[in-house]
Amino acid sequence: MTATVLTGARAGLVSCETCRLLSRPASLAEPGYCPRCGAELAWRRHQSIQYTWALVVAAAICYIPANALPVLTTNALGSSDSDTIMGGVVLLYTTGSWPLALIVLVASVMVPLGKLVALVYLLITVQRGSLGGTRDRTRLYRMVQFIGRWSMLDVFVDTFTVALVQLQPLMSVEPGPGVLFFAAVVVLTMIAAESFDPRLIWDPAVTRGNRHA
Amino acid sequence: MPESIDRDDLPQATVVPRRRVRISVVWVIPILAAVVAIGIAVQRVLSEGPTITIVFKAAEGIEAGKTFVKYKDVNIGQVTAVRLSPDYGKVEVTAKIAKSAAGLMVDDARFWIVQPRVTLSGVSGLSTLLSGNYIGFETGKSDRKQRNFTGLEIPPVITDGQSGRQFVLKADSLGSLGIGAPVYYRSLQAGQVIAYRLADDGKAVEITVFVNAPYDQYVDGGTRFWNASGVDVAVGAGGVDVRMQSVVSLIAGGLAFETPPFAVTGVRAAADTVFTLFGDQATAMKKPDLTGMRYVVYFDETMRGLSAGAPVTLLGLPAGEVTAVGLELDPQTANIRGRVEIVTFPERLIARLGQHQAAVGAALARSRQQRQVFFQRLVEQRGLRAQLRSGSLLTGQLFVAFDYFPDAPKAKIDWSQETPVLPAVPSPVTDLEAKLSGILAKLDKLPYEAIGADVTRALASLNVTLEDTSKTLNRVDTNVTPELKTTLEQVRGVLATVDGVLQNGVNSTLAEVNTTLGDLRRPLATADAVLKTTEATLVGRNAPIQHELRDALQEISLAARSLRVLMDYLDRNPEALIRGKAEVKP
Repeated sequence: MTATVLTGARAGLVSCETCRLLSRPASLAEPGYCPRCGAELAWRRHQSIQYTWALVVAAAICYIPANALPVLTTNALGSSDSDTIMGGVVLLYTTGSWPLALIVLVASVMVPLGKLVALVYLLITVQRGSLGGTRDRTRLYRMVQFIGRWSMLDVFVDTFTVALVQLQPLMSVEPGPGVLFFAAVVVLTMIAAESFDPRLIWDPAVTRGNRHA
Repeated sequence: MPESIDRDDLPQATVVPRRRVRISVVWVIPILAAVVAIGIAVQRVLSEGPTITIVFKAAEGIEAGKTFVKYKDVNIGQVTAVRLSPDYGKVEVTAKIAKSAAGLMVDDARFWIVQPRVTLSGVSGLSTLLSGNYIGFETGKSDRKQRNFTGLEIPPVITDGQSGRQFVLKADSLGSLGIGAPVYYRSLQAGQVIAYRLADDGKAVEITVFVNAPYDQYVDGGTRFWNASGVDVAVGAGGVDVRMQSVVSLIAGGLAFETPPFAVTGVRAAADTVFTLFGDQATAMKKPDLTGMRYVVYFDETMRGLSAGAPVTLLGLPAGEVTAVGLELDPQTANIRGRVEIVTFPERLIARLGQHQAAVGAALARSRQQRQVFFQRLVEQRGLRAQLRSGSLLTGQLFVAFDYFPDAPKAKIDWSQETPVLPAVPSPVTDLEAKLSGILAKLDKLPYEAIGADVTRALASLNVTLEDTSKTLNRVDTNVTPELKTTLEQVRGVLATVDGVLQNGVNSTLAEVNTTLGDLRRPLATADAVLKTTEATLVGRNAPIQHELRDALQEISLAARSLRVLMDYLDRNPEALIRGKAEVKP
């Protein structure tokens, strides 16, 4: 299918990851530095797959306590309420504001999970040298990268609430341990997405194409 | 020997480059994450306390995840689920208890729902108005672990941690006492009622009271407890004595205890000692009567109003009480009479003796022989007799009084019987009744019929007399009336003549009067002239002469008026000249 794909690496060229200048590497072993911006050139990111795997696994581990532990503890007039993320979603839904519940569900539960699943999918396909859907996978990667910056919404809201609602002794809001894990999930998935080299998606096509050619 | 081999024919070993599996340092991150997550999980599992189930009748204000279990106001757990029991009759509350409090969940631990409670003896649980209800907890003494409990309906009175002792009071009925009802010692609140239950035989109520530490030392073996609810009003010769422990006890009921001086044993009562609960202070503090002597008194009169417990008095002082009121049947004499069993307490009477006589009285009480002789003399020589008397005119309650009746018929006491019979005399009330009935009987004997016949006869003669009178009157009517008529006609004739005479008389009189007046006119004219001269001669209006003149004139004018009146009168009533002035008609 995409047998005629030609990559820069195949052509003996390397592109700068910073300013995207296509240049001839100094040598095959040591591509050297970008002549324009001075960034270190690399054929492919260093141990990209292993790095990404490690971070994805770490994020997946953190995802469990992030959902199991309370993210917010509300003390109001002597009674205290601890809410997990799913608890908040259920509370919002049962109190009738299902649009808000949907937003929280999508932003706080589905998006981190989706990112993890997407990254795992990309890693597996790259490692297996899958040929199909290279364009779609690239688009998926871009989406993961793009959405990463919005995932901290929950943590933001949490910190804001904690900072604003401090009416001791009537009412106070304290962050729960879950929010730390949630932040860790977001940060780890962002770094994982960054450490994944999308050029790897296309490499099997090149090699496979050449082999067939 | 070595064979030459063509080395080139041999296959070349392949060199496979060693695959170096390099593990990146980045794997530290997931390992770290795993360690932290597992650490938290382990901590959670380790700090996990037991999960218990409490069965309540209703889950008032209990919410899963929000209601706490508190012990001494410290959270020791949280309700995790509230659901109906399988038969829908009760509520099962599941609570997760902190590991630190796991040891408290023993067999006799108690749970109850704490909510704002306003009772007569106080307000409690106000904090729950803000924080919501919670489950109160009180640990027990047992060592056996328990995970399933039944919640209490009423919060128990917490005594653990308070020093003091617990006692059990036996009462006939609970009265107005409730859990938390105060126990007073000399009007100080010394404890409270913490529980009550029906005795096992169902014939008494066992009330458990807790007496707090400083006061429990005053609970002696001989201490009396009594019901101090309400107001105790005693009316005596010294006035009205009102006793009340506190307003709370008035409304919510209460108990009090005290040790009567004669009952002090000097030994502190052990915890859980059973005491009797008396109805009131007087009964509680009453000295027990040590020796009671039983007698029987027979009465041949109504005993309505006499009941067991009625007092027996000697010369008006309390000496004992009635123990039974019944009948005695004697088939041989065909007689039924009232049988009253009494018990007398010599101590009461001895207590009334003067100091120097107390020893004599005590000796008398001790020796049966002496006492019998003494009593015998009282009965035979002084005439000591029992009598039923009315204690209250309103209620008709009777009591048995012993007094001296020297005129009473002779009697003896048979001491051989187990309960000797004391002689009695009829009561004054029955005496009066007897007299009344005697009078009535006499009245009954009166010859009413004979009297009736006499009266009838008298009436008949009266009738005859009246008829005679009627006849006489008739005679008068027929004989006398015509004569009367003629007499009246004659009288009328006489009057007519008188009338004629009068008319002539009056006319002539009037003419004479007229001439008299004409004569008068002349002197008057002279008088006028005289007056004029007088006026001319006498200067000053206020001169005495003038004054007198005015008076004279007034007199004259009055005279003239009288004359005119007379004339008028005469004109109307000419007969007045003969008969004089007639009476003014009303």
